[in-house]
Amino acid sequence: MTLSANPVERRLQISGVLIILGLLVEALCLAWRGPLAFLVFLGLGGLLLFAGIVLFLFSLVSTPPHGT
Amino acid sequence: MTLPVSLLLLLILFSVSMIVVLLARPGMTMSRSGKVMAFLVLFFLPILCVSMGVSSELERSKSTAFCLSCHIMEPYGKSLRVDDPSYLAAAHFQNHRVPADKACYTCHTNYTMFGSAKSKLRGLRHVYVYYFTTPPPPEKIKLYDPYDNRECLHCHEGARSFEQGAVHNSDPDYLPAIKANRKSCLSSGCHEVVHNVGTLANVKLWNGGS
Repeated sequence: MTLSANPVERRLQISGVLIILGLLVEALCLAWRGPLAFLVFLGLGGLLLFAGIVLFLFSLVSTPPHGT
Repeated sequence: MTLPVSLLLLLILFSVSMIVVLLARPGMTMSRSGKVMAFLVLFFLPILCVSMGVSSELERSKSTAFCLSCHIMEPYGKSLRVDDPSYLAAAHFQNHRVPADKACYTCHTNYTMFGSAKSKLRGLRHVYVYYFTTPPPPEKIKLYDPYDNRECLHCHEGARSFEQGAVHNSDPDYLPAIKANRKSCLSSGCHEVVHNVGTLANVKLWNGGS
């Protein structure tokens, strides 16, 4: 997979990668039964997901309206 | 609502595969349906997964197995299997007066408005002490505050065995004092043997029900 030349699509792709990483951290923490799992889940997974979602929302509001 | 972990993992797998499709074909977001799909897979599904995950993890943190997964808590887990009814924690655990799978949480949460949240914050402090400082030996661990009768009365108040218990009614002042937390259930000489992890080397353990 290569990053798109279109800046909006590129932001979407980066946000997608961040969200995938966050979801994978969440999945690992759900499978891992240690007491630190919840902290890693919220600290690392939550951060990655938050960054991905914020980047996705930013890509929505930064899209130029049609006709400009 | 708590989803079983296997279903939650399936939901995460589904979300990841949908995002991979979007990553491979980002141009699809130019159409209206593509935009809706992007919103679902990059916003709605991740938030759904996180909220379900948080709920699942919080529920798991109430389990006896979770509390006993810290090495320092092992003697406390052992104390639940003491073959002696005078051990309060063991008597409650073995007779299912508390749910066996949530034995620690049932007695050590606060039955107040924010009791559950306070318990979680105390849990965070335990993690800090365990990993970043030198934790005390198990027999030296103390409660932050004296045990409040409120936690006992959450289940026992109104129960016939408590309200009509011979010792509880041996003095007319006893029951009101217990209910007002003026006379401690644990430290007034009545139910003083709780975990007593310092003496576990010399006691017989009950292995039934395991």
